[in-house]
Amino acid sequence: MIEYIIIIVAVISAIIALLQEDLLKAAILVGISGFCVAVLFQLLLAPDVALTQAIVEGAIVPVFIALAVYKTNKGGA
Amino acid sequence: MNYLIPLLVVIPILSALIVNIFDGKDKTVKAISLVLGILVPIIAICATVGVQYFGGHNPSLLTSSLPANLVNTLVAGYNTGIVYAFANIERIFIFLMGIVAFLAILTYFSEKKEVSGPYLYLIFMGLASVIALLLSEDIFNMYVFFEITALTQVGIIVASSTEDNYEIALKYLILGAIGGPMLLLGIGFILGTIGSVNIADIIFVISNKFVQPYSPGLVIGFALILFGWLYSAGLPPFHTIKSAVYSKARPNGSAILQGFSVLCMLAFGIAMYKIFAYIPYFNTAIIVFAILAMVLGVAMSAMEVDFRRMIAFLAVGELGFIALGFGIGTQMSIAAALFQAANEIVITAMLFIGFGSVYYLTNTSDTRKLGGLIGIDSKMAIMVLLGGWALAGVPPFNGFQSKLMLVQAALDAGYTELAILAIIVSVVIFFTFVKAFHNVYLQPKPSELKFVHDKIPKVTVFAVAILLIICLVLGICPNIVTDVFIPFAGGLI
Amino acid sequence: MVMDIQLASLFASGALIVIGLFAAIFIDNIIKKVIGIAFIEEGVNLFLICLGYKAGGVVPIYLPGMTADWFAANSAYPLPQALVLTSIVIGASTLAVMLALAMVLYRKHGTLSTKEILGDEK
Repeated sequence: MIEYIIIIVAVISAIIALLQEDLLKAAILVGISGFCVAVLFQLLLAPDVALTQAIVEGAIVPVFIALAVYKTNKGGA
Repeated sequence: MNYLIPLLVVIPILSALIVNIFDGKDKTVKAISLVLGILVPIIAICATVGVQYFGGHNPSLLTSSLPANLVNTLVAGYNTGIVYAFANIERIFIFLMGIVAFLAILTYFSEKKEVSGPYLYLIFMGLASVIALLLSEDIFNMYVFFEITALTQVGIIVASSTEDNYEIALKYLILGAIGGPMLLLGIGFILGTIGSVNIADIIFVISNKFVQPYSPGLVIGFALILFGWLYSAGLPPFHTIKSAVYSKARPNGSAILQGFSVLCMLAFGIAMYKIFAYIPYFNTAIIVFAILAMVLGVAMSAMEVDFRRMIAFLAVGELGFIALGFGIGTQMSIAAALFQAANEIVITAMLFIGFGSVYYLTNTSDTRKLGGLIGIDSKMAIMVLLGGWALAGVPPFNGFQSKLMLVQAALDAGYTELAILAIIVSVVIFFTFVKAFHNVYLQPKPSELKFVHDKIPKVTVFAVAILLIICLVLGICPNIVTDVFIPFAGGLI
Repeated sequence: MVMDIQLASLFASGALIVIGLFAAIFIDNIIKKVIGIAFIEEGVNLFLICLGYKAGGVVPIYLPGMTADWFAANSAYPLPQALVLTSIVIGASTLAVMLALAMVLYRKHGTLSTKEILGDEK
């Protein structure tokens, strides 16, 4: 049962991330979606990929996006 | 065991890392990159033909250690590691690309006092990845190097500090970030159908009908890989962005970039032909894109006033000839396509560097503002003119030989219309080129034309001369390469 | 249960790819385009992992106490997993380069809109 919840959360948070006005919130939602996919990898019998995915898509990519958003907000205004 | 085959990839990567470390010490960087740059073509000549199994995963040696119930199954013959195959055709292309890269680096040194380590890093890294693309027998490995090539191409444009280069780089990267995953998805479909990413295994499984050859997985995989191929080669619908990419780099950078595209196109083209040639609409699909590339590329180049964009579109149009050879699909036409690819690497590099000297002298590339440059350096002007003739297919240059071969192959296969189209396109290329040449070199010099540099560096003239000599040698004795290409093409069918 | 986890994950990967493609093509904001591309890559990776899944199987790590035959018959297919490890890293590095370019272009044009940045070239 848990896998359906995770799949639904992953897809829904992806959609909300793209509808979001605030780009920082979008970055966090990308992290949530990435982390859900990481859990899904674990359930699909790929634990080492799940670890990499949790670190890269769950943490590093949102931080990159958030940094880019922060930099592009400050310089122009 | 042939250690020279992996060295072909290792040496460029190593030199990329070293020049990046020594950034700032100009003399060291120059010496290292020249020595290591000339090593690549030398190794390409010296290496013996063979196959490299990475990690000792040679299937014929591993069979004895398999569990008993697997010995006589399909899986026992699968390649479990990455395989690099080096044959004479790879030798020719790696040699030509190595020479072009070396000459481009040489001209880069002559035009700039300070050299940039990161820029050379990108050139070497791209060189390593296209060589690996050619050598690799593994479609996933090809995908990895395809992505690295795309990133280095973006890096070369960003490092070129021309006008609007960041915009073009971002556009190219976004398209690449769509094309790359599509290619990976196609590889995924093939992997899901067949269970291996090794080209030899895939061919073995399909030709022995262990899977349904027209299964949806394979057909969808073909469509997605075709999309990735169009992106990597810059065939329509990606011709505009590809030519913009060429025209935004420095002349030596564009010489290398077009070589990368040709090799990417060739590596994926050969892999696709090997795997999917049995699909009935394979030939039609490729011929359609080839015709589009030829017509659109040449038509857009005829309308350009900026000579760098003009050559860039001509380069895309020439890629159409290569694709046409693959699309017709007879032994002679594929050999002609390979020959055309070898010629294109040399000729287009020569035109980019040769016409680039005009940009170096005047800092403008608008043909309406240029003129009378034959008075500055008549040697260079004549060599550029000869290069243009080679591109258009005027005897005795190599372009003539390969186009003749292609037209004959098209006639033999019954595609009379395609033969006529190829001839018409060549004639248009000739006129476009002669018009641009007249505007830049022969018409009277406009009074407001200013020079940033007084004369062309000797090294640039030398580089163009070397490339012209290669063109001439290939044009007079085409047997050097066609003796390799024709049997190879025969083996593909 | 009607669907098993493999089929459900395939649908999820398809949904992620479609969402990502839509965003990468139609949304104007560069950062959102980049986010869309991240979703495409995630979806493709999920698709590859699904290929190797085996219902009722075990993780493809060879532990002491397993016989080779039992392991070969019951483990998930490890090749796609090895491929995905590489592909995740490639995706992240492409993303970083795109964000860096977006930042440079923002400094130059003062906007994140693709139309305004890419429209005036040529």
